[in-house]
Amino acid sequence: MNIPTAVPFKTRESALVAAGLSLLVPGAGQLYLRKPQRAAAILGTVSGLAFLIWWALSDLKVGIVTWRQGTTSWLWLVLGLLWVWNAVDAFRCARGLRSWDTLGILLALVIVYYIGWRVTDANLDRLVSRFQDVKGVFNALVHPDLVTRDQLGNWHPSENFGDLIGKIVLKPAPSLLVRLGVFRKDALVPAPVPGKMMETIAIGLMATLFSALLALPLSFVAARNIMSRVRGGTAVYQVMRGFLNVIRSIDTLIWGILIVVWVGLGSFAGVLALTIHSIAALGKLYSEEIEHIDPGPVEALTATGARLVQTIRYAVVPQIVPPFLAFTLLRWDINMRMATVVGVVAGGGIGFFVVETIRKGGYEQYAAALWVVALVIVVVDYVSARWRERILVGETKVTGPAPRPLFRVARTLILAALLVALFAFSWVLSQIDPRKLFQPAPTFLRVLRDFVRIDLSSSVLQVVFRQMLTTVFQALIATTLGALAAIPFSFLAARNLLGSNLISALVYYLTRGILNFLRSIEALLYVAIFVFWVGIGPFAGMLSLAITSFALVGKLFSEAIENIDPGPLEAITAAGGTRVQLVMYAVLPQIIPPFISYVIYQWDINIRISTIVGFAGGGGVGLLLNNYFGMLQYHKAGTVVAFIVIVVTVMDFASAKIRERLV
Amino acid sequence: MLKVENLTKVYPSGTVALREVSFEVADGEFLAVIGLSGSGKSTLLRCINRVIEPTSGRITFNGTELTALSQSEMRKFRRQIGMVFQQFNLVKRSSVMTNVLAGRLGYLPSYMSLFNHFPPSDHQSALKTLRRLGLEDKAYVRADSLSGGQQQRVGIARALMQDPKLILADEPVASLDPVLSHSILKYLEGCNKEDGITVLCSLHFLDLVHRYATSAIGLKEGRLVFQGLPKEIDDAQFKAIFGQEAERVTIL
Repeated sequence: MNIPTAVPFKTRESALVAAGLSLLVPGAGQLYLRKPQRAAAILGTVSGLAFLIWWALSDLKVGIVTWRQGTTSWLWLVLGLLWVWNAVDAFRCARGLRSWDTLGILLALVIVYYIGWRVTDANLDRLVSRFQDVKGVFNALVHPDLVTRDQLGNWHPSENFGDLIGKIVLKPAPSLLVRLGVFRKDALVPAPVPGKMMETIAIGLMATLFSALLALPLSFVAARNIMSRVRGGTAVYQVMRGFLNVIRSIDTLIWGILIVVWVGLGSFAGVLALTIHSIAALGKLYSEEIEHIDPGPVEALTATGARLVQTIRYAVVPQIVPPFLAFTLLRWDINMRMATVVGVVAGGGIGFFVVETIRKGGYEQYAAALWVVALVIVVVDYVSARWRERILVGETKVTGPAPRPLFRVARTLILAALLVALFAFSWVLSQIDPRKLFQPAPTFLRVLRDFVRIDLSSSVLQVVFRQMLTTVFQALIATTLGALAAIPFSFLAARNLLGSNLISALVYYLTRGILNFLRSIEALLYVAIFVFWVGIGPFAGMLSLAITSFALVGKLFSEAIENIDPGPLEAITAAGGTRVQLVMYAVLPQIIPPFISYVIYQWDINIRISTIVGFAGGGGVGLLLNNYFGMLQYHKAGTVVAFIVIVVTVMDFASAKIRERLV
Repeated sequence: MLKVENLTKVYPSGTVALREVSFEVADGEFLAVIGLSGSGKSTLLRCINRVIEPTSGRITFNGTELTALSQSEMRKFRRQIGMVFQQFNLVKRSSVMTNVLAGRLGYLPSYMSLFNHFPPSDHQSALKTLRRLGLEDKAYVRADSLSGGQQQRVGIARALMQDPKLILADEPVASLDPVLSHSILKYLEGCNKEDGITVLCSLHFLDLVHRYATSAIGLKEGRLVFQGLPKEIDDAQFKAIFGQEAERVTIL
């Protein structure tokens, strides 16, 4: 066919040809018009949706209607409309008219969201009709089991408080002190017994320390600019990056259930699971930082005749230490959050405590745990953020040649001693036992072998595929609900748009506080509430994800609003615009791109988390994985993990690419 | 005396940056290297201290054939060759003092310098050098808190700490305000006149070449197209170096 080079086509005939081609095969007309990207997008969307409709109908009877004695899905009608739209689109493209993108996207979204809604078993009416069932939990949230009152009317910390935070018990005096004559033999002395929250803090600290130490050498091997200097280094770099990406795509909790087989239930398993995931996450961040250093100082020091070690010490280290510290602090924040849930599968820490109390029906104890977690994580979040800020933007201390005064030496020594004590305390508390690493349970090797030999029989694939799609839809709908709810609140949590009066300040701090509070509890810990409310299943998991999405997206949105350029605001105000006009013409155009970017980012995060909400009854692929592990069907569990790795990696890549184009 | 013979550099991408460049610089000269961006000036300067490895050709400095030295011998020899950069190449987060002391690293064993420990004599000479460059009061501030002109003076101080016999200055004033150009070049002139250090300096502006250089070479597309005294660069020479469309511009 002879295709003229000039686009768009002006003749009526070619427009009809394009429309006709698109009517035959979606996207063909667009391809004929030399718009291959558009053609691929249309063909991909239509065929993907067709598959989805067919799958939803045959597997889950979604959208079923009777028609001429047979059954079919009414969604085919919507797809038909999309097909027609695509032909019209080809025609309009050919005539150089504006294309109706919004309509096409809307039709596709109708199909996606309808199926997603049904697959995640979302029934909002259950939130109302079953409210009675959850009343007890809400009641407990208001009256958490932290204090009790004795007969005299005095308040005391309750036994549960002791389990969570720590208590003083009488124990036989340590033999060393008895021998020194401080205590009599058989004397009972008060000794502190740390609670589950302390154990959680220790797990988070140890995992951060170990992962930072191990990620450090790995990051140099995963840095392109370093490895390209070594012969064959680029290949090592590629392998290393791929390896880190695969490890990172498997959530901490999934590592947890594997590790438990290796070293047994307990805090140590939690530390290991967190460490493995963090090494991959930190390794990526560190190596990207190494890739972005300024090569100038390296060149300058090479030119002075400095040795390689000296060049690294004076030109590379000063550049990477502050960002490395900042990333480690960020990871500490994330690890503390994950440490609160890793116990759900690995045992140890507050996650284990929560599982136990829910099993016993101890709502008040569960509620107390939620409050304690929220409090600790809010503090960790604040400390980590302020510290990072100080490292990255603050002045580094520059010392003169004067000898250090004695008190500063003393201060350093005391600080070092405290750190050593903290380390020892955490080591003991998180039950770290390196010997266990070399004495895996006898079943471990068999499990590992089964696990690697993944089951690809069609019956298993069908089940895993269904749950994987459920997980993806769970994340999609949760993100959508969370983001929709976050939009109004984000304006209330943005400083620059509120006035300066007392009520505005109150609204700001209240909204920020609620968002921070909700964000500090992991989705997995919310699942229990929703299981009581709407029953076990993907709907409960989806609602938990929606809560955390609402909180995180709300925070990100409000920060995006706070970071807008005030210039256009000033211009509209100067032109006499009203507050509504200000938002329409100066605020919205600036915040829509970051908003979309954050929503996609949140979807990406939610897919990771929705793979694990099933561990607590939230449905999706996590439930399946837990079941397979429970039934010792490790080869099927392997299939699930393989699916997770693929989906998470693809989503991670796609979301990064889309966000790159947006910002 | 610095002698460059038939120097050629071909990058792995295939770009020929230098073609058979030969020239000589007597001790104590201030040699200006002129040419358009991409004419090979930076490559030429970096081939002399072999921060970039030349493809072929010979470089001799005071009787030592630099192109024949092993990597570790070359590293030791670099102590005699200071370098000043267009982008200053300071470690921004480190103090001015640490940046200046870094010029001594080539003379120090690794183990001592790993803990930011330098001999007291180095500290004193660093302070003396900073005083000479008018930066005495800035010794203990972060390098990135200085202005561009001050940062470049720190760059010169670092080079001077090496006790160099030769300074390679790669567009030392191209990132600075024109007003500051004279201040920086006067310091380089001072190194040249007072300390007798040979200076090779690439420059953009012809009037700076006339004012400071004692001799000049011109590069065009990697070839040496001019060699002589700065005052010999007339309009015809100028067009030969910079192309037919070039116009002379003057600063201050």
